[in-house]
Amino acid sequence: MGQCTVGTGTLVGVEVVPVDAEVDVGAGLPTFAIVGLPDLAVQEARERVRSALRAAGFDVPNSRVVVNLAPGPVRKHGTGFDLAIAVGVLIATGQLPRAITDTCLVIGELSLDGSVRPVPGLLAYALAARDAGMVLMGPADPDSGRLAGLEYLPIAHLSQLRSRLERAVGSSRRHGSAEHSVDFSEVSGHEQAKRALLIAAAGGHNALMVGPPGSGKTMLARRLPSVLPPLNDRERLETALVHSVGGIEESEALAGVRPFRAPHHSASIAGLVGGGAPPRPGEASLAHNGVLFLDEMPEFGPAALQALRQPLEDGKVTLVRAEGRIRFPSRFALVGAANPCACGYRGDSARACTCTPGVAARYLARIGGPLMDRIDLVFDVSRIDPSLLLKASSGPTSAELSAAVIGARERADARGLGPTSLLRGVSLLMACHLDSLATTQLEAAARIKHLSGRGVTRLLRVSRTVADLDGEERVCTEHIAEALGFRSKEDC
Amino acid sequence: MVEWLDGLPRFELALADSGYPAALAATEFAPDRLYGIGDPVRLVTGLAVVGARKATPYGLQAGTLFAGWAARAGYTIISGGAIGCDQAAHRAALEAAGPTVAVLGCGADIAYPRGATDLLRSIAESGAVVSEHPWGVRPAPWMFRNRNRIIAGLSGALLVLEAGLPSGTFITADFALCAGRDVLVVPGSIFAPECRGANRLLRQGAAPITDVSELAAALAGPLGPPLRHPGDAWSLDGATPTDDPVLAALRTGHLRPDDLARLLSMDIVHLARRIGALELRGLVVKFPDGRYGPTPEQ
Repeated sequence: MGQCTVGTGTLVGVEVVPVDAEVDVGAGLPTFAIVGLPDLAVQEARERVRSALRAAGFDVPNSRVVVNLAPGPVRKHGTGFDLAIAVGVLIATGQLPRAITDTCLVIGELSLDGSVRPVPGLLAYALAARDAGMVLMGPADPDSGRLAGLEYLPIAHLSQLRSRLERAVGSSRRHGSAEHSVDFSEVSGHEQAKRALLIAAAGGHNALMVGPPGSGKTMLARRLPSVLPPLNDRERLETALVHSVGGIEESEALAGVRPFRAPHHSASIAGLVGGGAPPRPGEASLAHNGVLFLDEMPEFGPAALQALRQPLEDGKVTLVRAEGRIRFPSRFALVGAANPCACGYRGDSARACTCTPGVAARYLARIGGPLMDRIDLVFDVSRIDPSLLLKASSGPTSAELSAAVIGARERADARGLGPTSLLRGVSLLMACHLDSLATTQLEAAARIKHLSGRGVTRLLRVSRTVADLDGEERVCTEHIAEALGFRSKEDC
Repeated sequence: MVEWLDGLPRFELALADSGYPAALAATEFAPDRLYGIGDPVRLVTGLAVVGARKATPYGLQAGTLFAGWAARAGYTIISGGAIGCDQAAHRAALEAAGPTVAVLGCGADIAYPRGATDLLRSIAESGAVVSEHPWGVRPAPWMFRNRNRIIAGLSGALLVLEAGLPSGTFITADFALCAGRDVLVVPGSIFAPECRGANRLLRQGAAPITDVSELAAALAGPLGPPLRHPGDAWSLDGATPTDDPVLAALRTGHLRPDDLARLLSMDIVHLARRIGALELRGLVVKFPDGRYGPTPEQ
């Protein structure tokens, strides 16, 4: 009979707060109590631990067991404490050596038969263990790639605790590098839309596609990640961490594939930007370093859409809860798709629009001005002639476009003024380096098209990226002329 | 409901009254009473300008051009106050400070369509808003068909801007023919479903109107010579075909960049920059449906 402390942790946002599982086995009535702000799932650990220990052939103490999860004020969620509690009981009853506790961070859910199940956020725990100079002891993962290069102790079944424990290292193999299943070369027609997406990718601009149903908006958006440069090492880990905590497969992110998230328009605010108890990352965070595609954008709830303004502005989502502020990283390229009007066929060559003019004009306004301000590129996607669909496409491949994107991004990075899509004011003018002719043209554009200040800013940002794609140091009139075609309807 | 016409005079005219518009009274379908807001003296024989509610930029441009010219020439512009071509005609007349008359399908004191309140008030201030329905009658779909006969009856000639198939404009044209009025039509593209009705009227014998000199000639008979010199209006006289293939293509029809690139076998980047340059020179405009077309009166 005795006491011991086992290191474990709980997720707050994408970070792990260290938790000590203190186990005391002493004289008294045979009870099993867990204290330290446990939620219901943690309370249920009692039954799982008892059954699992018995199933693995250990003795279950027939005395009073008290488990304290410290620090006390932090609310403990989930089933990840099972393994730590079981290990604590075994050490306190002398069935395991004490040495484990100094070197291991223990995480895992127990099954009644003693096997260890995975829990969300393993990558986050493994990183926390590394930072604390420890090793993660956790479920044996069939896909060891997810713990990319980190040392850990896999436990498939409680009975393995008896035998000699061997450390393993998660392989950092990259799953066939960033392979995309779709390619721009498969798209016939849609030349203007492809060009617009290339510009969006090169400058990190947010984009809105407007077109009737079935015109290929979703098909085009799915191909955007294929022209984005692969994730670098830092982005890879950031994105995988969010995916790990969000409970989705992180191997793609670790392989460098940029995430593409396409939530349905019925998504709630919590679903879109994160929330719940315990707080979980929303789609905007799962799209971190990738693309968030909002199909039927005007159909999203206005509150949910407006909630995207913070991540678009700051690159992160901050959730304020009674227990504190939780931050999820959330830097993504927003791509929206919308029908041109409520019936969807305004401007279509084959079908008549049945909306009254007022209804049609109000439809796109549902997206809301503040959000439209963050969208630099607006372009039409029209349904194309079936005869063109059948023709083999001869357009550039995603790999060729990706090379152009990387070149343009390198030129933008060399300026050292930050991403083009976030430039404004003086730094935007500095980046554009307009000559006098271009300045005249810009003034003419602003006057003829009645552009607002924000409209000019958007026009200049897009012009800057077009010039970057051309490899030009300065923004010239031809770049402004091309950018003019992508302005939003309000700027018309 | 009726505060929009605060301070504006109302009038009622019976068929037997001397102030009842003579042209309308002479038709077999003249209503027994007319209810109106504004000045009954303005109900003179004029040019009716009608067209599709869902007008394309082409129809709106044509309406602005021809109604504006006719109003500057002193002809009264008569239309139905509806969204699209009708309102474009009224607005052009008001801008030219010419008289204009709106014939409503509901009671003349009901501001319908919604959103047209300010326009209807301006029309009533300088011209008249009339209806055959008593005060306060709410709009119903069947009323607008009958409204069209009053537009035709008040007019000396009818100009159709844009009509698809089927179209309420045909009703107006039928009434105009019954009453012996000239039917004038702005020709449209043979590829556009929005123009099929207008082109069918032409095949049935309506007179095509392609510029203001043709309109002037067509109006001189039924409405008499212009009361005022309308000044110069846009016409193709002296204009030459352009060497710019992009501009030439856009002049003949409204097109999207993708279609234009295919028709001209041009690279999209090159084409987008040409269109942008033309737009900066004020020669082409982008329409709300995403197509580009020539600026009117360029």
